[in-house]
Amino acid sequence: MLVINNLSKKIGAKIILSKVSLQVPRGHIALLLGSSGAGKSTLLRILNGLESYDTGSLMLDGKPLDVRSVHKTHTIGMVFQHFNLFEHMTVLQNCTLALEKVLGKSKQEAESIAYTLFTHYGLADKANQYPAQLSGGQKQRLALIRTLAMQPSVICLDEPTSALDPVLKRQVATNIKQLAHEGLIVLVASHDIGLVEQLPCTIYLMEDAAIVEVADSSDFANNPKKYPRIESFIAGSKYISE
Amino acid sequence: MIIDFNLMYESLPYLFRGALVSLSIAALGCLIGFIGGTIFALLQTNAVRVVRMLVSSFTAIVRGTPMLIQITFMFILLPTIGIYIPAFWVAVIAIGINSTAYVSNVIRAGILSVARGQIEAAYTLGLTRLQTIRYIVLPQAVRTVLPSLGNEFVTLIKDSSLASVIGVYELTKEGSFIISRHLNSISIYIVIAGIYLLMTIPLTLAINYLEKRMHRHVSH
Repeated sequence: MLVINNLSKKIGAKIILSKVSLQVPRGHIALLLGSSGAGKSTLLRILNGLESYDTGSLMLDGKPLDVRSVHKTHTIGMVFQHFNLFEHMTVLQNCTLALEKVLGKSKQEAESIAYTLFTHYGLADKANQYPAQLSGGQKQRLALIRTLAMQPSVICLDEPTSALDPVLKRQVATNIKQLAHEGLIVLVASHDIGLVEQLPCTIYLMEDAAIVEVADSSDFANNPKKYPRIESFIAGSKYISE
Repeated sequence: MIIDFNLMYESLPYLFRGALVSLSIAALGCLIGFIGGTIFALLQTNAVRVVRMLVSSFTAIVRGTPMLIQITFMFILLPTIGIYIPAFWVAVIAIGINSTAYVSNVIRAGILSVARGQIEAAYTLGLTRLQTIRYIVLPQAVRTVLPSLGNEFVTLIKDSSLASVIGVYELTKEGSFIISRHLNSISIYIVIAGIYLLMTIPLTLAINYLEKRMHRHVSH
């Protein structure tokens, strides 16, 4: 289980995160919902050691989690909003680089792991292409595969459905459900309200750097009035998109 | 007759010998410049402030003074500190140091052009800082600045003529020697210019080809 307890961060006088707490058991999905600037991405970046925090604590499976060294243990993986693929490398090299250089796998072993994932996610025929030659959905899958190849316990997805069409969004939701089904702890930061309906998850609504409401997605679907702020956020988002 | 074709033809072996020396000075200077420039660019983008300031001062001094002065200064300075090396190597070192200053700025711009997100992705995948530089940053940085590096090499081929002031028999010096004997500068200078073009044009074309090849799969 991933436990985040009272995590806070300030830059100057600006509060970036205010006493954020959440618990995500293995095989569960936490959906961090909220508009831009609410602190969702910052939380994911802190978990991956990309940003520091001021106060609070983090634990993974009962042990304190040192985010400064989390990249060395590759227990937490990150799929970035803009994928951040290595543009000068092929799809295969994007996936095998860390397997070879970080985990010390042989070229054959690394390629075998990569091709297993490529086959599963339908990218096997793109192995020798470059990221610039892939569609948005394919890039998204490659970013996911690259992270999954390192076998993390926790996977963070930052705005995974932004810039994708509705069909691809459904496919991403299916992939996320599968990750949880495989026992990973999944954290999704998104302002895409469509994910609320598509993912069996715990919804954490973030506003002004804090979690302001928490709901189980099935409970919310049955009784939205019980969660007025989430309902209001979804209604507001629908109004804007219409 | 101003243009003496016979003299031009007979001078060719001597001038080609000089061209080989020019090319050697430029190639070795460029190698020093590339290695030194890469190290300095990495220091400028990664090292502590004091080191960054020292590197910046070095590049400012070298870029702000003429190469002719640098070569003659080096030629006079080295023996005074007990280093006696042939004039050819003095020229190589001076041109290499000069190139280091220019190349470091070029590669620094290339490093800064690599998307920050890729470096963050490498970090989250567990790559060390050195691995990130080796496999992610430098290949893309060099690709970005390849035309500038090619231009730098072309410039060095031409600048190698400055080695003549310290007595290195490179292309220009060989030409001057022939001119002083036959007193027909136009003919010899035409051949010298032709040989310089023979060295620089194929290089420019090769750089253009390599640049296109390397950018095949990268979107902009």
